[in-house]
Amino acid sequence: MIDVRALTKTYGDRLAVSELSFTAPAGKVTGFLGPNGAGKTTTFRCLLGLAEPTRGATLIDGLPYRELASPRRHVGAVLESTGFHPARTGRNHLRVIARASRIDAARIDPLLELAGLTAAADRRVGGYSLGMRQRLGLAAALLGDPAVIVLDEPANGLDPEGVTWVRRLLRIWADEGRTVVVSSHLLAEVAQVVDRVVIIRGGRLVAEIDIADLTPSRVTVRVDRTDLMLSALSAAGADHELLADGAISIAGQDTAEIGGLAAQAGVTVTELSRVSAGATLEAMFLAVTAGPGR
Amino acid sequence: MIDLIAAEWLKLRTTRLLVGMIPAAVAISVAAVAGTILGHDNGEPLESSEGVRRALSVTGTGAILVLVLGILISAGEYRHGTAADTFLTTPRRHRVLIAKLAIGAGVGLAAGAVISVACLGIAGVVYDVEGATFPFDDVDVWLTLAGTLTYTTLFGMLGVGFGSLVRNQVLAVAGSLAWFAVVEHTLVNLAPAIGRWLPAAAGQAIVRTPLDGLLSPPAATVLLAGYGAAIALAGIRVAATRDA
Repeated sequence: MIDVRALTKTYGDRLAVSELSFTAPAGKVTGFLGPNGAGKTTTFRCLLGLAEPTRGATLIDGLPYRELASPRRHVGAVLESTGFHPARTGRNHLRVIARASRIDAARIDPLLELAGLTAAADRRVGGYSLGMRQRLGLAAALLGDPAVIVLDEPANGLDPEGVTWVRRLLRIWADEGRTVVVSSHLLAEVAQVVDRVVIIRGGRLVAEIDIADLTPSRVTVRVDRTDLMLSALSAAGADHELLADGAISIAGQDTAEIGGLAAQAGVTVTELSRVSAGATLEAMFLAVTAGPGR
Repeated sequence: MIDLIAAEWLKLRTTRLLVGMIPAAVAISVAAVAGTILGHDNGEPLESSEGVRRALSVTGTGAILVLVLGILISAGEYRHGTAADTFLTTPRRHRVLIAKLAIGAGVGLAAGAVISVACLGIAGVVYDVEGATFPFDDVDVWLTLAGTLTYTTLFGMLGVGFGSLVRNQVLAVAGSLAWFAVVEHTLVNLAPAIGRWLPAAAGQAIVRTPLDGLLSPPAATVLLAGYGAAIALAGIRVAATRDA
């Protein structure tokens, strides 16, 4: 579990993160979303002990990162800023981390395989593509079999196949009970896999939502005889409302049920559509992230 | 701590730094020794104590590259963006610096040993060329080479400390080379009284360079170790308190 409490970080006069609080529970994929420059990376850097919070606290299972007994075994992180020595091979990069963290070097080969880097393992990282570096970073993050996984824009540099691969891993890790936090400036990259989203903008929290709590799917219907349809919906006990443009919005029903009701009422359906929770989330993300950043 | 030192050693030997820097340090020391012997002043016999000290004291020339290697060990982490990764592994950052100082000292000592052996060899050969016999049994030979080991060891640590203090690799390397090549020389000429208290002069004293006004080798060792400790502590403070 990750707990960010009233985190504030300033760089000189610039306020990067302001009074930010949110939690990321275990067993869920938490999407940490916001436009570029919203303060996502700064928040991660504070969380991971790389930057000192100006005020507030960031806790991982109740402890600041720097107080974790064995950080690499507890937290696996991939940050955008993390570099690799260009002359070191991918395998040796992992060996260094394993050695310093007392992690069994036997974990290295399976992780190289998972990351699709077996063939490139003994090549210098300087010759790796951006996608290969991302994969190596992920392998490094997983080296300690961590309970908490923090990924900063993991889709950057990955091809579509790689993005799908990461999404699948995120789901697997969360289902194994790990705390998974993944940042992105694009909702679409993570929308399919997140259980929860934290949206920030200009360093401030905009929304913290469990996807399960989002308005359940609504069905929108247009018919030739709105009055008859409204009566039929009332008679069926459906939660509905008449929208200003003449369409009817119905909660908690699927399109087949509404189509059936319309047929029974003898009205002609001219439009029938469903708005998913995902679309609701997307509309919300666009609303809070559109326009000037600060 | 042993694991951290082992990891730092693994880091160093999985790059090309060692194979690039150590032979270069040996080469410039060997060249300096050969050049000094070949260009010796005929008024001073090569076999005399003075002559031996003059020839062997320049074995310390390679220490400057050991210093640069030390800088690359610490500042190189910022240059390549690996510092964040290192501090994720070891968030108690002073421990990283202590491990790096140990590696700086170890590599410095090993470099000093290789330099000493190579310089002894070349001195033997060039003495022969000059029609003289190198006095291997002269105590000055061994005291001077012990000084070389001390010099390179301390310079390795000094480099690690300085690199973590400055963090910018190019600035740290250029700054330290400028200091030893220009700034300290100028200060020595302007104010000889304070010149002997500066690090390069301390280094010269440690390798028993036959110059007037230098500190005694033990005093110079303490002085240079003091510089190393002060810079290392400042470097540890910077690493531990600044955002990586």
